[in-house]
Amino acid sequence: MRRTAKVPAKAAARERELPVAHITLFTLLLGVMLLASACAPYPQRVDQPVTIPNNASVPRVDPADAALGNQTAYGMMRFSADSVYALAIRGCAEGVCDAIGRGEIILGMTPEQVMAASRTGPQAWVQRRFDGFGTMVPASPNTSPYDRVGQVMVVQLDRGAAAVVSRRGPQGIMVVSKPQDETTQARARAQAEALVREGDDLVAANDMAGALNRYDRASVLDPEQPEIEYKAARLLDLQLRPQEALMRYQRFLLSMDLERIRAQGEASALMAEAIALAQQRIVILQREVR
Amino acid sequence: MLRSRTLLAGLAVTVLTVSGCSIKRVERIDPNSVTDLSGRWNDADSRLVANALITQSLEATWARDYAASNGGVAPTVIVGQIRNRTMEHIPIGTFVRDLERAYVQTGVVRLVAGAEEREEIRDERADQQTNATAETRARMAREMGARFMLQGDVQAIEDSEGRERIVFYQVDVTLLDLETNVRTWMGQHKIKKYIQRRRLTP
Repeated sequence: MRRTAKVPAKAAARERELPVAHITLFTLLLGVMLLASACAPYPQRVDQPVTIPNNASVPRVDPADAALGNQTAYGMMRFSADSVYALAIRGCAEGVCDAIGRGEIILGMTPEQVMAASRTGPQAWVQRRFDGFGTMVPASPNTSPYDRVGQVMVVQLDRGAAAVVSRRGPQGIMVVSKPQDETTQARARAQAEALVREGDDLVAANDMAGALNRYDRASVLDPEQPEIEYKAARLLDLQLRPQEALMRYQRFLLSMDLERIRAQGEASALMAEAIALAQQRIVILQREVR
Repeated sequence: MLRSRTLLAGLAVTVLTVSGCSIKRVERIDPNSVTDLSGRWNDADSRLVANALITQSLEATWARDYAASNGGVAPTVIVGQIRNRTMEHIPIGTFVRDLERAYVQTGVVRLVAGAEEREEIRDERADQQTNATAETRARMAREMGARFMLQGDVQAIEDSEGRERIVFYQVDVTLLDLETNVRTWMGQHKIKKYIQRRRLTP
């Protein structure tokens, strides 16, 4: 009885152990399957060759190699510029030598002196010559040479010397063709003229504020030009600003040398008319202001 | 019995894993090596951009054209803002410094201090006017004006699906003439990265 009772106890124990073994095996299988599926390559949609793989080496470029061409070119430019400067100052006239020192192109300079004054070399210019006449224009429009006055656009040569110098300014091209155009006052006068022209265009375009701004700037640059005061006064009068207009008319009359105008007669007939109109407007405006 | 064995094995594995994770390894590696870990912008990208911009700008003719119009004098450049227009943190300074260093080393371009550095220098110069001796103080109003300004930006386009990601970086640098606003030179470098993430990390 005891034996028979022992056998079913072992069988029962085996029955209890079997599911544990099954579960372990099943878990292990599941784990292997999961691992296999996880490590399997993902379906890749991008199939391009790799240009720089991981662990490759990307050394820094040597800037000296890239700059070699420029460095050589700089050296040649400096050498040729030095040669040109030596030629330029050899036996130059006093005024020309001073202008080279100041860095200003003046009339009568040779092409070498023009280069020396603008601190450039032959590479900066394209020269055309024909029978004693010629032109010097910038070789590259983006990097035109500069002198102390401004950006040089054209130098016209007459018998090998600069006869006309054209520079780019804020109000357009400024041309110097006479020695008296080279003074600071002459330059200011040329700029004032350009500003008055701009002001006139703005009046025509009905931009009164812009026009007045140009006339004001022009009157500072060239205070000896009474016409600018007259134009500003007329503009203010039209804008119904009587007090300012009155002051401008008075300044216009004060700036006029009436005796000289009268003496000049015919030549100043137009100005005389303007004076008469200004005097009339002063009388009217003074009444209005009071 | 079996349960206790399983528990013991589990514990042993946990202890081993924890101890394995705590091992730190530090090694010096070649700074020129490409080491992509996350796929984000890294030192290799910065170096690639710097290399491309140095080569492009030093081989271009803009500096030579300027020098030709100025008797062989190198152009003066100021480095302006190079903006990061991506959502990622990109240290712009790394490749900009490489570019600046190349300019200074070669002498093809003269660099002047940027807006931030300038303020500090001006403060020091102003201080010298009061505290330094007359023969050693730096003089005022002797700064060199730049003719060109370097500006630029970094932009990124990102595309992702599942475990794949494409990141495209475009670095544009422009040299502007300060007087005329003309774009004198433009440099560009593009980087395209394909990032694929595994399901399990080994």
